[in-house]
Amino acid sequence: MDEKLKNEIEIEVKNVSKVFPTNNGDVEALKDLSFTIEEGVFLVIVGASGCGKTTLLNLIAGFTRPTSGKILLRGEEVQRVTPQCGMIFQQYALFPWKTVQENVEFGLKMKRIPKRERAEVASEFIDLVGLRGFEDAYPKALSGGMKQRVSIARALANDPEVMLLDEPFAALDAMTRQVLQEQLAKIYEKHKKTIIFITHSIDEALLLSSRIIIMTARPGRIAQDIVNDLPYPRNASVQLSDHYTRLKKDIWNTVQAEVLKSMEVEAD
Amino acid sequence: MTYAYLSVGSFLLVMLIWEGFCRLGFIEPIFLPAPSLILLRALKMADQGTLFVHVLASARRVMVGFLLSSLIAIPFGIFLGSSRFFKAVFDPLISLLRPLPSMSWIPISLLWLGITETQKYSIVFMGSFAPSLLYIIEATRNIDPILIRAAQNLGASRWDVMREVILPGAMPQIIAGLKVMLGIAWTCIISAELVAAEEGLGFLIMNAKEYFQTDTIFLGMLLISLTVIIIDVTFRMIEGKILPWTRN
Repeated sequence: MDEKLKNEIEIEVKNVSKVFPTNNGDVEALKDLSFTIEEGVFLVIVGASGCGKTTLLNLIAGFTRPTSGKILLRGEEVQRVTPQCGMIFQQYALFPWKTVQENVEFGLKMKRIPKRERAEVASEFIDLVGLRGFEDAYPKALSGGMKQRVSIARALANDPEVMLLDEPFAALDAMTRQVLQEQLAKIYEKHKKTIIFITHSIDEALLLSSRIIIMTARPGRIAQDIVNDLPYPRNASVQLSDHYTRLKKDIWNTVQAEVLKSMEVEAD
Repeated sequence: MTYAYLSVGSFLLVMLIWEGFCRLGFIEPIFLPAPSLILLRALKMADQGTLFVHVLASARRVMVGFLLSSLIAIPFGIFLGSSRFFKAVFDPLISLLRPLPSMSWIPISLLWLGITETQKYSIVFMGSFAPSLLYIIEATRNIDPILIRAAQNLGASRWDVMREVILPGAMPQIIAGLKVMLGIAWTCIISAELVAAEEGLGFLIMNAKEYFQTDTIFLGMLLISLTVIIIDVTFRMIEGKILPWTRN
């Protein structure tokens, strides 16, 4: 694990700013943001709502372009939507007219991989997220947690280098969320993808990450960058340890300060 | 089930009152014939074989015109719905065509094409094309942009996005729009036949008026209703087959 952290740089964010023009003048979502992410890191970005977390993820995925600065993926500038960064949306974004199987096969179909091979790969990942038996169901028939598992399987089946998750479990109930967090932790252990995960839950951040970045209120910059060295697996005893509490308190202090600042900004 | 009985009952009651009114001589049959007389006329015409000739003539014209217009409007609409550039290019033309009722095309179509089958098809086509196109553009626009992002993120090209996301995603709304358009296509053909034709349901009722055959007029109107209902039911059955994911 620690060996891997010294590996190649996967993503480089270089002096990135993003400004959105609105009717009430320009809104600066990100300001001169710079950091690098090494291969195999599970980075969780925490921040108050409206701090530009999602904007950052959209920039890395190539959905939008930065106003200034650039983002490098394995040394190459991200200029358009890139399948190398598999995105998992909070709203699942499954295709309602496709079955679970067809949804998971989608990326492979786009690569023009033959049908039989596609089906094999897809069923492997459907198994991985525990949805065997639901291959022919349409998304409409699934619960929120199941939908998000399909979406994770769909991204994984496409074998991206990086997984981008935008508050993926925010809309789920507490129990389902916990099950999916554990599943994601297992998937990370097994596949060792580089992951960028956005949340506003500090516990979720501590549970999943190997590194945590806390963003400031708008315009988004880095307030704190922490290595999460909690031991794996992060079971109940880890979650009750002094180390955990200390980290949580530390993060909470930073987050609280930023939340208060953003509330002041809104009050203006 | 009880509600179905209610509907059947109310229908029979209306027919009974109508029949009674006519039998008691309140109204001259030349203005309003009794339902039994209309039924008798239907049996007679079915026997002569003329009934189906008219139904088939109208149905064929609607189908040909409507299919042609849909076949062009669906891909073209999806294309315009996903390209701001071409939407802007075609906007003035569509805006000018859309408000024209199908009736207004009849004189020019007669001048260009004469009293021919092609003229009938063209009336249905012109009457349904522009509104269909607008329905389809709207349906295309209503697709959740996050689905398009998800598809691109999984490696879909522009063309893939159109075929794999926009077309199936817009399909329920397109079909709903086409159902409405099919009704409009029928109005188009009946009005075209009322003006100039040698067969068809519109011709049947116009021609019957010349000879004061009121029962035939009512029969023709009834047949128009029935044909549209049958087509609508068929459409609904096909819909369930094409869109299994919308079924409960």
